[in-house]
Amino acid sequence: MVLAQGGARKEPLHNLHFANNALQIKIRPGFAGLILQLLCCMEKNEKGFSPEESLLLIESMINKAKDRFGEDGHLYILWGWLVLIGSVTEFVLFHYFQYEKHYLVWSVSWVLLAYQIYYLVAKYRRQKVRTYTAHIIGYVWLTFVILAFLIGFLNGRLSGDSRYFYHIFPLLLALYGMPVFLSGVIIRFRPLVIGGICCWVLSVIATFLPYDYQMLMLSVAMVVAWLIPGYLLRAKFKQEKTK
Amino acid sequence: MFKELDPILHSQLRLAVMSLLLSVKEAEFTFIREKTNATAGNLSVQVQKLKEAGYIDVVKEFKDNYPNTKCHITPVGIKAFEEYVKALQEYLKVGQPKL
Repeated sequence: MVLAQGGARKEPLHNLHFANNALQIKIRPGFAGLILQLLCCMEKNEKGFSPEESLLLIESMINKAKDRFGEDGHLYILWGWLVLIGSVTEFVLFHYFQYEKHYLVWSVSWVLLAYQIYYLVAKYRRQKVRTYTAHIIGYVWLTFVILAFLIGFLNGRLSGDSRYFYHIFPLLLALYGMPVFLSGVIIRFRPLVIGGICCWVLSVIATFLPYDYQMLMLSVAMVVAWLIPGYLLRAKFKQEKTK
Repeated sequence: MFKELDPILHSQLRLAVMSLLLSVKEAEFTFIREKTNATAGNLSVQVQKLKEAGYIDVVKEFKDNYPNTKCHITPVGIKAFEEYVKALQEYLKVGQPKL
């Protein structure tokens, strides 16, 4: 089939010559274009679609679906600052003022927890696609929250005395390392992996320190495991967005 | 003897949709449309064909008072996709020049 353009009229006509020249149809260019486009599409879609083209298409679509860096580090930064300020405040209250109810400083975390739930629900509703990565990371953090509450409860039950919370910081530091390390491995982000390992090292160091200085280990953990990776995640997210 | 390529998958748009859905847990119709550059009408027809073949599941719901369609690949779809890729590899193996 050959397409030739007629030149006599202002709006040229297309001649469709079939192979044996038995049929010649004169039609307006827009319509001819549409028919040709349709024929080409049909041919391309159903017949001229080679195995090589199939594999290239599969590869390109898988690349398109790959996780664009979806983590902006917002919650890492928010929780990092809250726990950093909380742990330093608790240290000051306990060490310098010998205030007995120093742990009350953590009441503010319920407010942030409520905000986090609101933030995650809104984010979930905004997303047009759910990746396996995000799904798995979500469950890693859910496991962390459940274990954090369980450790608090079990520590209280098993210690049996009023100073049960004296062991809580090394235990929590060991636990903090888990979601940070796993998230880093899953999204292949080294600062988080290093942050997770740092938490584990700090949990061991904390056992050699008096109770009030254990609180400061939590502050150090927040800087190395949550704040630094959080800001680096944000920078990477912005960088990916501008690409 | 070559395996016959699955006619449901051997279409550019349907194969593109399946490749996308294979890589994610679930995706909204608008996301698939953005990535495939297809028209809503054409994509809708192809999604329906994939659904009828049992290769994908389509869930219709409301999001902020607007209808929203979500798709995810089924185990049947994953199996069909694997078979399709295997068949493609056979074609390509024969097509390669012998050293």
